[in-house]
Amino acid sequence: MAMMLDDEASDSELIGRARQGDRDAFGQLVGRHYDFVYRVAYRWSGRKADAEDIAQDVCVRLGRAIRDYRGGGAFTTWLYAMTLNAARDVARKSARESAKTEAYGSHALIVGQAQAAERDDPVEALWAAVRLLPDKQREAVLLVYGEGLNHAAAAETMAISEATVSWHIHEAKKRLKILMRLAGEV
Amino acid sequence: MVDDNELKKLRDAALPGPDAEARARALSAAMMAFDEKDEVATQGTAARPRLTSRALMLWREIMQKKLIATPAIAGLVALPIAGYAAFHLMQDGGPALDTGGTVAETLADKAASAKPDAQARPPVVAAPSTEDLKQQVAPFASAAKPEAAAPAGNVQAAPRKEFARMKSAEMNQAMPMAEAEAAQRLGASSADVMPMAEPTIAPAPMPADTMRPPEENRDRIQDFKTNPVRSAKEDPVSTFSIDVDTASYSFVRRSLKDGLLPQPDTVRVEEMVNYFPYDWKGPSNAETPFNTTVSVLPAPWNGEHKLMHVAIKGYDMQPAIQPKANLVFLIDVSGSMDEPDKLPLLKSAFRLLVNKLKADDTVSIVTYAGNAGTVLEPTNAGEKDKILRAIDNLAPGGSTAGEAGIREAYRLAQKSFVKGGINRVMLATDGDFNVGQTDDDDLKRLIEKQRGTGVFLSVFGFGRGNLNDQMMQTIAQNGNGTAAYIDTLAEAEKVLVEGASSTLFPIAKDVKIQVEFNPAKVSEYRLIGYETRALNREDFNNDRVDAGEIGSGHSVTAIYELTPKGATQQVDNLRYGEATTGNGGVSNADEYAFVKVRYKLPDADTSRLITTPVTAANEVSSFDAAGTDQRFSVAVAAFGQKLRNEDATAKFGYDRIQEIANAARGADPFGYRAEFLSLVRLAAAMN
Repeated sequence: MAMMLDDEASDSELIGRARQGDRDAFGQLVGRHYDFVYRVAYRWSGRKADAEDIAQDVCVRLGRAIRDYRGGGAFTTWLYAMTLNAARDVARKSARESAKTEAYGSHALIVGQAQAAERDDPVEALWAAVRLLPDKQREAVLLVYGEGLNHAAAAETMAISEATVSWHIHEAKKRLKILMRLAGEV
Repeated sequence: MVDDNELKKLRDAALPGPDAEARARALSAAMMAFDEKDEVATQGTAARPRLTSRALMLWREIMQKKLIATPAIAGLVALPIAGYAAFHLMQDGGPALDTGGTVAETLADKAASAKPDAQARPPVVAAPSTEDLKQQVAPFASAAKPEAAAPAGNVQAAPRKEFARMKSAEMNQAMPMAEAEAAQRLGASSADVMPMAEPTIAPAPMPADTMRPPEENRDRIQDFKTNPVRSAKEDPVSTFSIDVDTASYSFVRRSLKDGLLPQPDTVRVEEMVNYFPYDWKGPSNAETPFNTTVSVLPAPWNGEHKLMHVAIKGYDMQPAIQPKANLVFLIDVSGSMDEPDKLPLLKSAFRLLVNKLKADDTVSIVTYAGNAGTVLEPTNAGEKDKILRAIDNLAPGGSTAGEAGIREAYRLAQKSFVKGGINRVMLATDGDFNVGQTDDDDLKRLIEKQRGTGVFLSVFGFGRGNLNDQMMQTIAQNGNGTAAYIDTLAEAEKVLVEGASSTLFPIAKDVKIQVEFNPAKVSEYRLIGYETRALNREDFNNDRVDAGEIGSGHSVTAIYELTPKGATQQVDNLRYGEATTGNGGVSNADEYAFVKVRYKLPDADTSRLITTPVTAANEVSSFDAAGTDQRFSVAVAAFGQKLRNEDATAKFGYDRIQEIANAARGADPFGYRAEFLSLVRLAAAMN
């Protein structure tokens, strides 16, 4: 986050130039934020390959949409939203496949993996559980705990009210408890 | 156990950095997207819309989904739709009515999806292409080493995704941009099953949670369920509107030729069957505009079943007596049309058509992009040079202002209206048609109104990636026209030159078919295809209900699969529902069914009826004894069902389809059937 804030001023300058069609400015802007996007994508998906896919997707979207960026909020807020959207899209792409694999006993697989992960690293296990949450809760936890945003900033990113973020976090905690216990037991 | 302190550790989790290569690839993709300068893709905005716009989006989305031609059915559909809308608003709403998250998503999606054809731009992730395919395959390959590459710990995603990737490596070839949509469809259905239960079923929450309701996608294609097997005792009457569209076949062909199995929802079996010209016996004069040939033959894919093959052939008008035509070309020249298989192909296609016209026919050209404009005022086809020059000068650019264009086209059509002749707007587009109009419904109303004044509308789809199949269907069905998908110049020739008379000159409109089955002979039946054309039983006699149009020389084929009385049934008999026949026995007990066709002459308001009883006289003893065209159409129907992955043909191999089609090629003067055979081979190779 700190990096972002430092660069905020020149970010807006770059955006301004990119909107005018300045290629270099845009290239600089994307290069600067790629790692940020990748990090969020990785936290969301938990897979390097997916995160790279998502990040590339975001870069492309950025290329198409930058001219229409009106600078209403912080650029990073916009990036967060875009990245999470892209991440969801990638997940959705594989959702159909997941439906097909139902027959393969998804439950057993999920639990088995959680177990394996936990043996490795408790934080990873927690992340794994976070990734099992419904999208909204997953995003809220990612933004608040993974990225260290406060509820208000997360609310802006997710375009929902602050109270709703808090509620998602609350629900997520309840659910994480169950998920973690489950992974521990089996 | 899970408290703030623990959750804060989430920040510390190890984070494997991205590959330099992936980074470079992403950045260059970004630059490419930046350079595209696509005016259409303007929706990825930072300003977040409010609830109202979300509701509107949803509503529009739903309206666009609804594709049913008849107001009566539209009424029936409205209620469940309202429920659906409410459900999705609620589902995403959470307790505090939060709405924004998914709004932004929809818009961002649009930004990505508004870009028409991903094929030309390899490294774009949003739409799989070869480059993308490589990327998709690569992670799978690396992940195949036991846990080596993949960071440990992705509980849910890892195993399923592995599988998904494996699949998606194949599937990506199979389903291009349709993939995501299909995923959503599947997702939606399973999410619908367990909507609110989610918070309580923590252990295996995946399906309900990660799957989202369907959203706008690039190729807009209506999904539909395959017709079920019906019991002739409970539900003896089957009613549908005829369909002479051929768009689905071209779409399937294009997909297969690109090396991809088509998305099942793009396969409309009836459109595939009706793509081919058949030599059914036609009527002898225009007064009875068509002739019905019914035959009953054994089903090749099921030894116990029979097929009832209903073939309708329209009267073939002699060119000399063809009425004068007043055509308005409404041509999409928006930026997205700037691809070799769109505007240039379209120009060649219309040039072919102009050459086919008679000297006293009139042609006008309206373009729409940014602002709708008249390129050519009504001009006699005799002044061919002037028309061809106008076509040549069409240049792409701007966004799509569909509504203004269509109004202008109708205005010109009225201006040079030919009484007693053909007045038709011919719309050529690659997809989106919605700038300046609130939803598909408004458009539909406009087209319906114009239909009343005698101006018909046909739609020609070009290109792929942005094709709005649904819009094409909606407006063609409501405009008394046909929808054709033009992917090659050969197809343009088939539709606009070979088929010019059937495309342009209607001989009957609102053609509906109703079949009553005799439960004494038939225990079950299933209509193959025509899912999107189903009508209510009572609609058949209601002249206000719109239905399909038949052009000069058109042939239309409908095939039922029958379970004869005594054969193994798929539907159990009712224990208490044994129907009694009050008269001690059914009259006409030896008939299989009774086929009724209702139609209106092109300028008439009241319908006429043609009836044909189906008896043993219509039956042939073996499949091979059936006519060449019958056998070929059955092969096409089997192929369509295969592509739709239907149960009936699950055990019926592509090799058998090929065998039947090969034996039934007939004269095939234009090579359409030979091409079909090559498609079957392609599909077989891809399975």
